[in-house]
Amino acid sequence: MISWRRVQAVIRKDWLEVARNKQVLSSLVVVPLVFAVLLPAGVILLGDSGVLTSTIGGMQGFLDNLPAGVVPADFTAGQTMIYTLIVYFFAPFFLVIPVMVASITASSSFVGEKERRTIEGLLYTPLSNRELVLAKVLGSVVPSVVLTWVSFLAYTIIVNALGYRVMGGIFFPTWTWAVLVVALVPLVGFLATSLIVAVSGRSTTMQGAQGTAMFVVFPILAIVISQATGLMLFDVTVALVAAVVLAAVDVAAFVLVVARFERERIVTRL
Amino acid sequence: MITGQIASDVTVATDLTVSASGLTKRFGTRAVVSDLSFGVAKGHAFGLLGPNGAGKTTTVRLLTGLLTPDAGAVTLFGEPLDASNADALRRRIGVQTDTNLYDTLSARENLRAWGALYGIDRNRLDERIGDVLGVLGLSDRADSLVGELSKGMRQKLAVGRAVMHEPELLFLDEPTAGLDPEASADLIGYLKEMIRSLSTTVIICTHQLHGLEALCDEIGMIKGGRLLTSGTVQDLLHARWPEHRFSLTVGGDVARAREVVSSLVGPGLEPGADGELAFVTTDAELVPAIVAALVRHDVPVKTVVPHRRTIEQFYFATLDEDGVA
Repeated sequence: MISWRRVQAVIRKDWLEVARNKQVLSSLVVVPLVFAVLLPAGVILLGDSGVLTSTIGGMQGFLDNLPAGVVPADFTAGQTMIYTLIVYFFAPFFLVIPVMVASITASSSFVGEKERRTIEGLLYTPLSNRELVLAKVLGSVVPSVVLTWVSFLAYTIIVNALGYRVMGGIFFPTWTWAVLVVALVPLVGFLATSLIVAVSGRSTTMQGAQGTAMFVVFPILAIVISQATGLMLFDVTVALVAAVVLAAVDVAAFVLVVARFERERIVTRL
Repeated sequence: MITGQIASDVTVATDLTVSASGLTKRFGTRAVVSDLSFGVAKGHAFGLLGPNGAGKTTTVRLLTGLLTPDAGAVTLFGEPLDASNADALRRRIGVQTDTNLYDTLSARENLRAWGALYGIDRNRLDERIGDVLGVLGLSDRADSLVGELSKGMRQKLAVGRAVMHEPELLFLDEPTAGLDPEASADLIGYLKEMIRSLSTTVIICTHQLHGLEALCDEIGMIKGGRLLTSGTVQDLLHARWPEHRFSLTVGGDVARAREVVSSLVGPGLEPGADGELAFVTTDAELVPAIVAALVRHDVPVKTVVPHRRTIEQFYFATLDEDGVA
């Protein structure tokens, strides 16, 4: 049986450590700032000036391959550009935020404990393998989700505030984004964290563990490329299917991580 | 009761808090711990002595379930230790090793995290943290980040973390390393009091031997993963050095004094000068008779100093002997 008090104790300790690590904190802010503030603001302010399509790779291809009926028929070229980029093109990028945040916090809290030689102390406590893995996963997933939700809020405010005049009213968020933010963000963060915890027993450096999170980024890049080539649009159906698949993968990943968690391997490779 | 060299087929006495029987652990082909057997009874302190790389840390990891032995068994609190009960048994154990504390957390926050992990009641946690910091002389540094503390303070805090939940069994790995003599004596005093008041069983792994006589009921010497010897301090010292050495400082006629002492201890009398006589004897009870004889012969006795052998001497003698063997 899981002792939530022990799980909370580890999470609280990890969060205190992250909160006092300026290097980690600054890394956590960069990606959300780019995706939630700089890119949407740039899209709306630059509009259809051509600067965006020439500077952001894949964007022109995405616009050229846009399926019919995705954008309201009465939209101007400028409105179409803003709408499609804000609503569709940037959606998968938002999944990168929880992956990046979780990879930084998870590697810091698990492999970082090995690097700082503090993990053995934890292994001598009554924490079960399941409690320790759960604490490390939740301790990384929760901040990654919260930070992504805050980013989403900022994104929503920025695109509506800056785009209100051009778009003729509030045009964001959509149902696809609701599924993305509520379901996909936590699921993707959970998977990235589980993978990092899984390799933490073998990895001796934080960088090595963070590299594992890239396995989660690849499918996200596949969505971006699929959109750019017109193969698939990241709409609400795709988001729902992805959520169901990810939920199953998450459960399997967690069970596997706990089953393969070996104290002996960790203490003998310090 | 403390026992050494428990044969694997012998039923372990129920009052043993911890016992190892034929414990063996290999990493690859290298045996780090080999056929290790010993036991420590409730409320006793056992010193596991050995040089670096002797297998002390691996022994602690085996005894706490962090490592699984290739052969042999561990019994904790009367229960055979295995993967299914290791987490539950660890609730009753405290461990201080050379593992680090959390540098970016304060002393209080480090102890709070450990208190919560061991299930100390929230209402009691602050009081317990205050008690531990007070006993260790760290009250005024409670809110200092651990990274800002001296090595000695961190060492004391590491011990404090291990005793937060008042464990029934406590493992200490070089607990006095980095401590000044006064702090070291204070810590040993605290541990003695804890053993006395809570009947805590303590296993101390160390090669820093100063002060151990005052704490350990029994010692075991480990080298190359093998237990070279174990027993009570007194028995081990007596077995190795059955004779006792004394020195007397006398006034008056020293030549007469030498005659008197020689007549009682025979060849045990050593050459000496300036009114000092040194002798060895297997019978410590002989000393009062020697003093009485000297007084009868009008030789004033100024001082009688017993020269006790120490654990440190025993440690080096045993290592030397093993090296020769």
